Formats: sequence, C-alpha cells, structure tokens
Amino acid sequence: MTAGKAGKVLWPLAVGVAFLAVWQLGGIHALLHFKPFQLPVPLTILETVIDNLPKMLSDTWITASGALTGMIIGSLLGFLVAVIATMFPKWGYPGLTLVSLFNAIPIVALSPIMNRWFDDGFGQKVGVVTVVCMATMAINSYRGLNDLRPFTLDLMDSYAAPGSAKFFKLRLPNSLPSIFTALKINIANGLIAAMISEYFASSTAGLGFSIKDNLRKAMMAKGWSCIVMAALVGMLLYSVLTLVERRAVKWHASQNK
Amino acid sequence: MSTTEQAALHTGHTSTAAPRNEIRIEDLTVQFPDNKGGEPVVALSNVSLDIRRGEFISLVGPSGCGKTTLLRAIADLQQPTSGRIIVRGLFPREIRMQKKYGIVFQSPVLYDWRTVRRNVCMPMEIMGIPKKQRTATVTEMLELVGLYNFGTKYPHELSGGMQQRVGIARALAVKPEILLMDEPFSALDEFTKEKLQEDLLTIWEKTQKTIVFVTHSISEAVFLSDRVVVLSPHPGRLSAVVDIDLPRPRSLQTKQMPEFYEYVNKIRNSFEGV
Repeated sequence: MTAGKAGKVLWPLAVGVAFLAVWQLGGIHALLHFKPFQLPVPLTILETVIDNLPKMLSDTWITASGALTGMIIGSLLGFLVAVIATMFPKWGYPGLTLVSLFNAIPIVALSPIMNRWFDDGFGQKVGVVTVVCMATMAINSYRGLNDLRPFTLDLMDSYAAPGSAKFFKLRLPNSLPSIFTALKINIANGLIAAMISEYFASSTAGLGFSIKDNLRKAMMAKGWSCIVMAALVGMLLYSVLTLVERRAVKWHASQNK
Repeated sequence: MSTTEQAALHTGHTSTAAPRNEIRIEDLTVQFPDNKGGEPVVALSNVSLDIRRGEFISLVGPSGCGKTTLLRAIADLQQPTSGRIIVRGLFPREIRMQKKYGIVFQSPVLYDWRTVRRNVCMPMEIMGIPKKQRTATVTEMLELVGLYNFGTKYPHELSGGMQQRVGIARALAVKPEILLMDEPFSALDEFTKEKLQEDLLTIWEKTQKTIVFVTHSISEAVFLSDRVVVLSPHPGRLSAVVDIDLPRPRSLQTKQMPEFYEYVNKIRNSFEGV
C-alpha cells in the first residue's frame, strides 16, 4: 500500500475515532445541552450490543433478510421495466413513467397499505422494499441502456448487427455503471424502507420494531444499539457491492481515481 | 427491389462502367425536416459522382456542405430523399447487409468496457467469425497500426491518436471492400495527424481498398487522394472534382513539392468562387 492509499484510509478513520472520543467524553452533550439519558455514549452502546447479542443478531437478520429480498426482487423488476421500455419505446416509455410515479409514494403510506395485503411481516416488508427499489433501478438502468455515446449505434448498424448484438454488446455493458449506482441507492433506501415498514407491521421483531419499542420505553442505549446494527449492515452491503463493482466496471472513469 | 431489377442494375453497371466502377451516385438529394416545422433543410442537392474501384477519393468542403451526409448515404446510415446510390451494382443497404463497409468515425467510438483487442474483435464477433481466426486477425491488424503492445489496454489508457488507430484497425479487421472515413484525424494534433496520414497511405497501398475520405483540410485531401471532390454549402452540392497527379508513394516530401501547393491553391480558389 502506498502512502497516498494509506492516507485515504487513515484520515477518515482518524476523524471517526476523534468524533467517537469527543462523544464518549461528553463533548456533544456539552455542545447541545443534552442530559446523559438523552444520548448514550459509545461505550455504553457497545456494551448494550454485546449484552443483547443474540436478540440483536436475530433482529438484524429479520430486517436484513427482508430488505435484501426486496432489493433483489425490486431491482430485477426495475431492470426488466427498463429493458421493456428500451425495446418497445412506444408503450414502454409511458410504462417507465408510471413506475417512476411509485417513487413519489411515501413509505409511511406504502407500509400500512402493504400491511393489508400481506399476512406476515416478512411479506409486507419485502413488498415495501420492492416498490421503493424498483423505481430507482428502472430509471437508472433505462438511462444506462439508452444514453449511448455518439456513433456507437451507427457502428453496430454499419455491420448490420442484429438487435441481440446491439443489446448484449452495447446497451447492457453501457448500462452497468448506472445499474451499480441504482444498487447503491437501493441498499440505503431498502434498509430504511424495511425498518420503517416494521413500524407499521403486525410483527414484533426486527431492527425497526426494536428501535421504536425501545425508544418508546426510554431504553435509549438499546435503541441506539439497533441503529448501530443497521449501520453495520448497510456498510457491509455497500462494501461488498463496491468490491463487485470494482471488478465488473474497472473500465469506467469512476473506478480510475 | 426485385431480383430482375437487381440483375438489370448489375448488367447495366458492368457494361457501362468506366474501368471498374465501385460507387455510382446519381442525382442524389438529401433533405432533413426542419424541427420547427419550416422548410426542410437541403443537405445535399443533385449530387452525381462516380468512384472507381481501389481509388482514394476525398470529399472536402466547409461545414454544412453535406460531405458527412454524403458519406453516411453511401454507408446506408442516411436515406436519400431522391436520386440513388449504386455500389457494385447493388443498393447500399445490401452492401451494408453483406458487411462490406468499414467505417471510421470522427471520434474513435471505442467501447470503454472492452480492451483494445476486444474492440478490434467486436465486428468479427457480430459476423460470426470463428475465434481462432479472430485472434489471428486482431494480432495482424494491431501490428498493421503499430499497437501490438497495447492489446490489453482499455481505451481510457490510450492517447487520442492511439484510440483513432484502434478505430482504423477495427474497420480494417473485417476486410471491408470499401473504407469510409469521416474526418478521422480532425481531432488530432499535427504530428500525430501526419504520422497517421502516412500510415493510412501505406495501409491503402497494401490492401488496395476503395477509400472515401471526408475532411475539411484541403492539404490533407490533396496529400492523400487520387481525386478531391469539392462540395459547397447551402445547399450542399458538388462544385469541382480535381485529379491529383502527384507521384506515389507519397511522403512528407510530397508536401514540399510546388505541385502540391498548386493543387491546394486550385482547390482553395474553387471555394472562393462559390
């Protein structure tokens, strides 16, 4: 690892550690005039996570599995919509507009609706996350499939390339960076959607439910531990995706910094 | 077009054509509809021209003279409004379907996600050429354009001149009968441009292809061509065809010859008369 690369990792790490230290030593409380019970300090939160580990892990699994399932189904459906809109622009494009309208439905409205549709919390959660992720993927991948550089399509035509070659050799690889952008957005949005949906669910588990339940009971440290777990899941998924992206689109400008 | 018509065209072509006629442009007019609903824009008006087989012919003219439109019409990427183009007795569409064109565009048009080798390979994949043969041809083409050591690089790792050479290698890889080049060197610096011009002439002399070359540089057209076609703008029309009788093979010394300047001046003057 070169000095420059090490710096890229060390600097953010140092800022993070400094922030946690200030928090631990009461800096944030002093600044915002918080009482100790209003905001637990990092070591207390860590202790709570460790003390309640089995429950934490099961809550995390319940939320993460639902979020991930919804992300996969939603992203696949969204991509399918984009492909159809690309192949049949006449009625595919209005369809894409319709799907993007889903983007405007607030999750707090979607959640109770899905609650009526699905019997169990898992189905409801997957439903909400699917709808949220579908629109993002549809809009982004449609752009990637259609924002072609000048003459790239002419080049295909000059060799009398069939539609399948145009799709697999030009449009699909061209859309990969946009697809990864959509997946990154979907990881964050999907986790948030899964947790919010648990606020409204009939189920009694999951990170979202635990946050609501513990904060209601003024068990701040427990509530914060759930937030930590959610953040960890998000970071883990994001890191895995970034690694895959680095391999899959190493030719793209964003990967050559 | 019916088969009888095709046959008639074909015989007509072989019997009347002056020594081995390659492309015949007959009274070609191309109009573009105006976006605001006004009068259509006439890009090309009544252009007629014969291009001989194996000839290096350049189309020059200021912007708006329709030189790119003419090239695209030959390539069947632009449909004529009236008139017609006959290539080897067939319509351009059939020549395109037979994959006999190689096109080099203004920008290299490389696919970012493919290495140099795989970019050159792409048209051959579409044509279903077996892998072993593809690999051999790619190697041959990269050697021809002097990029053999850059096969595993991605386009963004190459200079503009190298990228354009990859584009040329890709166009040549399918062994096209006709090479259509649309201002391929216009975005390059003077040194790279001169190098590539010489390289192109070497390749042309080796492969004996018909080359239709669009440029806005008079000296480039004179240096490269057997004939220079001068087009004038608004509407695009043919204003002169100049035979370039400079000895071949040509080199940088050709550009020092008084005759070279005479041709350049002659063509420039034909613009001023417009």
